Amino acid sequence: MNEFLAALPTGLLNGLVSGLIYVAIAIGLTIIFGTLRLVNFTHGAFYAIGAYAGLVAAKSLGFWWAFIVAPIVVAGIAVILDRLLLRYFYSKDVTAQILVTFGLALVAEESLRNIFGAQTQRYPTPEAINGSVSFLGITYPEYRLLFAAGVIVLVVAVWLFIERTSYGLIVRAGVRDRIMVQLLGGNIRLASTIVFALGAGIAGFVGAAASPIYSVDPNTGFTFLIPSFVVIVVGGLGSFWGAVIAGILIGELQSLTTIIYAPAANVIIYIAMALVLLFRPQGLLGESEVIRG
Amino acid sequence: MQTKRSIIAPAKFVRPTTAARTAHTARFIAIALAALIVFPFLFKLIGGYSDLAAQILLTGVAAAGFNLLLGYTGILSYGQAAFYGGGGYIAAIVLARLTPNIWEAAILAVLGMALLSFIIGSLVVRLYGIYFALLTVASGQMVFFIVEQWRDVTGGDDGFQSIPTPFLAFGPAHIDLTTKLPSLPLGPLGDLSDVNYWYPLAALVALGVMLLVRTLVASQYGEVLGAIRENEDRSTFVGYDPRTYKLAAFTIAGALAGLSGALRAAHDGSVALGTLSIEQSGQFVIYTVIGGVQTILGPFIGTGLIMYLESVLSGNGYWRLIEGVIFVVVIVALPGGILGKSTRARFGFLRALGVKKNGA
Amino acid sequence: MAEPILQTKGLGKRFGNFNANSDIDFSVQPGELRAVIGPNGAGKTTFFNMLGGTTRATSGEIFFKGKAITGASGPHRVHLGIAKAFQTANIYNDDTCFQNVRLAALARTQGTFAPQFFARSSRLAKVDDLAEEALEAVDLLGVSHIRAGDLSHGDKKRLDIALALATQPAILLLDEPVAGMSVEETTKTEHTIKKLTARMTVLIIEHDMDMIMGISDQITVLHGGKVLANGTPAEIRANAKVQEAYLGGHSEDEVL
Repeated sequence: MNEFLAALPTGLLNGLVSGLIYVAIAIGLTIIFGTLRLVNFTHGAFYAIGAYAGLVAAKSLGFWWAFIVAPIVVAGIAVILDRLLLRYFYSKDVTAQILVTFGLALVAEESLRNIFGAQTQRYPTPEAINGSVSFLGITYPEYRLLFAAGVIVLVVAVWLFIERTSYGLIVRAGVRDRIMVQLLGGNIRLASTIVFALGAGIAGFVGAAASPIYSVDPNTGFTFLIPSFVVIVVGGLGSFWGAVIAGILIGELQSLTTIIYAPAANVIIYIAMALVLLFRPQGLLGESEVIRG
Repeated sequence: MQTKRSIIAPAKFVRPTTAARTAHTARFIAIALAALIVFPFLFKLIGGYSDLAAQILLTGVAAAGFNLLLGYTGILSYGQAAFYGGGGYIAAIVLARLTPNIWEAAILAVLGMALLSFIIGSLVVRLYGIYFALLTVASGQMVFFIVEQWRDVTGGDDGFQSIPTPFLAFGPAHIDLTTKLPSLPLGPLGDLSDVNYWYPLAALVALGVMLLVRTLVASQYGEVLGAIRENEDRSTFVGYDPRTYKLAAFTIAGALAGLSGALRAAHDGSVALGTLSIEQSGQFVIYTVIGGVQTILGPFIGTGLIMYLESVLSGNGYWRLIEGVIFVVVIVALPGGILGKSTRARFGFLRALGVKKNGA
Repeated sequence: MAEPILQTKGLGKRFGNFNANSDIDFSVQPGELRAVIGPNGAGKTTFFNMLGGTTRATSGEIFFKGKAITGASGPHRVHLGIAKAFQTANIYNDDTCFQNVRLAALARTQGTFAPQFFARSSRLAKVDDLAEEALEAVDLLGVSHIRAGDLSHGDKKRLDIALALATQPAILLLDEPVAGMSVEETTKTEHTIKKLTARMTVLIIEHDMDMIMGISDQITVLHGGKVLANGTPAEIRANAKVQEAYLGGHSEDEVL
C-alpha cells in the first residue's frame, strides 16, 4: 500500500501526460467523425508520420522545427488522401470506411518501417529542456510538463476555433445537423478538406511533440489508434469535451493500473470501454439515443 | 424514377428444381474436389510446397467463418483471432496432456470456441459499426491477456511449444498424419509421396466447410441473414430478431475459427501467442476482403494468395507493404474482392467457382 | 362495446426534460379505421413509435387484445399481429418486389428466430401464397419481378405496406401512407386502404386532410403530446378546440 502511495503522484502525472496524447488524437478523430461521418483508422498513422517527420526536422533543422514541419507534412498528406480517395467514402457505410482506412494505415506503417527502419528512435532533445523539476516532494521531467501545458493550450485553441470561427461553424453544424451543412452548399468540399487536414495536423503535431517522451517506432500509429478510439467511444462519438474527459480518464486508468499490476495496463481500457458500452452506450457525454455509428 | 414494366409478370418465380440444385451442388463438389486434388502439385510449380498448401486450407477455414460475418451478415469483427488462437491453445493442451487423437482435440476446440463466441457474441451483437468493431477488438485483447498471463498452462509469451504429433483415428487404425502418401510418379508434378496425410485431411475439412457455408447461406437462416444485412430495421419490423440471427452467425464463425486454429496448431506442432493478436484478426479481414466477400471460395483464395506471397516474399522487407497495397487496391478497384462482382463481370468463368447469394 | 383491439392508458414519453407524449388514453375497436392527426410537433410520430415498438414508453401502458405489451420488442409485436409501414418507404431495395414480400411472409412461419440452418425456403408454398396475396392487395402483382429500388416513389411506399400485410397483421399501422405521392397515387392508395379495412384494423397518421376526412371512421387529434379530441370526421371538423390548435400551429396548409 505504501509503495502504491509513493508511486501515486508520479503515476497521476504520467497518466495525465499519456491521457493528453489520447485527447489530442481523439479530438481530431471526433471532429472528423462529427463533421464528415468518417471513421478514420488512418488517424494513428497520422500521429506516426508526424513523429517521423518531426524527427527528420529535429535532426536536420533543429529541435523546435519538428513542431512546425510535422503538422504541415501530415496535413498535406491528409489533403492528398482526402481529395484522391477518402472523400468517396464519406457517404459509404462504416464497414467500408474502416476497411479502407485500416488498409491505408497498414500501408503507412509499412512505408515508415521501410524508410526509417524497424528500430526504436529517440529525439535529440535540447539540453535546456532535459532537466527535471522538483515540487511537492516529487521530481518530474521538465519536458513532460511543458508537453502537458502545450496540449492543454492546443485543446483550448481547437475549441475556440470550433466555437468562434466560420469554419468552426461547419464543424458544429456537422455535429448537430448534417442537413444544415449540406445546405451551405459550395463551401462544403473545401470545408471538409480543411476539417480533415486540421484533425490530421493535430495528430501530426502531437506525434512530434510526444515522441521525445515515448520515442518512435513504426508501430506507434496502431499503438495509439485503438486507445484513441476507445476514448471517443467512452466520451461519446462526436462529443468534443467527452473526448477530453475520457482521454484523461483513460490515461489515468492505464497509469494507475501500471502501478498496481503492470501487465493489465493495456487490457484495462478495453474492460472500461466494454462496461461503458454495455451500460451507457452513448458514452459519457454522448447525446444520441440509438447508436448505429 | 419510373421503370418500364412488363404488363403481366410471372405469378410465381421460376425456381431451379430440386434436381437442378442437386446437379449444381454436385458440380460444385466436383470442381472444388478436382481443384483441391491438383492444388499441392501445381502449387510446387510456382514455388509452393505441400505443407504450405495444407496450412492455407486450414487457415482458410477461419476466413470462411469470418466471411459468414462480414460477407453474409454485414458485420465487421476485429476479434476473430481470439477464437482462432483460442482453438489452437485448446488443441495444444488436449494433445499434450490428454490424448494425441486429433478428432478429440478438434472437437473440444470447436465446442470451446463455440461457447466462447456465444458468450462474447451475446454481448456484442446488440451494437453496430464502430462500436461492434471496437468491442470485438476489446474481447480479443482480453483473451490475449488471459492467455499471456496464464503462463503455467499456455507458456505465456513463448507460446505453446512441442505439441506431440497427433494421430488420426480411422476405425481401429491410427494414422500418423506426417506419414507420406504412397509413391506414384506424376511426371513434372513430382510424386504423390511429396504429400503427407495432412494434406488430404486439410482438403476434406476445407471442402466440408465450403459445403457447410454454402448450405447455410442458401437456407432459410441464410436468407434472413441477408435480409438483415440489407435492411436491419425493416427486418425487425417484419418480425425477425436480428440479434439472435447475428449471434448464431457469430457463434458459427467462432467455432470455425476454433477448428481452423486447432488444426493449424496440430499441424504446425506449436501455437504462438501471436495467433491471438489483433494483427492476426486483421489478417482474416485482409484474406477475406481480397479473396472475395460473399463467395464460397473467396476466403480460401485470399488466404492462399496472401500466405503464398508471404512465403515467397517474406525475405523481402517490403512484403507487408505489398500486402497493404494489395488490400487497398482491392478495396478501391475491385470491391467484392478477386471473386467479387466487378471481377466476375469481366471474367465470366469465375462464376463457376461457387459465388453465392443469401437464400439462393 | 367490444374489447378494444389496441388500447393505451396514461401513455407517455419523455426525452430528457421534454414530454413528447403524456397521459395518452386511447382505444381502437376491431375493424375500425382510425386516423391520428395533429399539427406539426403534436407528438404523432412518437406515439406511433411506441405502438409499433420502435420507442419504449416512459410511463403508462399499451394493451393489445387486452394483454399488456408495453415492453414487447418490435419483432415480438409483429408476431402478435401489429405490423407497420414507414413514413419513408423502408424496403429491400436490391431485391425484387416478390422477394421483398416473401421475406416478410417467411417471418410469419419463422417467428422471431428459427434455427433453419439447412432447409431452404423455396419449398414453402404457403410463403409464396402469402407473398402473392400481399402484393395483390396493394396492386403491385404486375411488377413483382422488378427490383424494389427501381420502383416509383408511390409504389415503394405501397410495397412497404405490402411488407406489413405479408405478416398477416390484425392491426396495421400506417405512418403517413400518402406523403409525397401524386394525386393519382394518393387516390389509388386511398382505395387500397379502404379495401384493407374489410380484413383488419387500420391506424393512420396522415397530413392529407381530404383523405383523412374521407376514409376514417374515427379521428384522434393530438396536440402538445396530449389527446385533444376524439370523434367522427364530422365531429372533429366542428370541434372549436381543434380549429384553434390548427390555426395556432405553424403550418398553414394543414388548416381544416
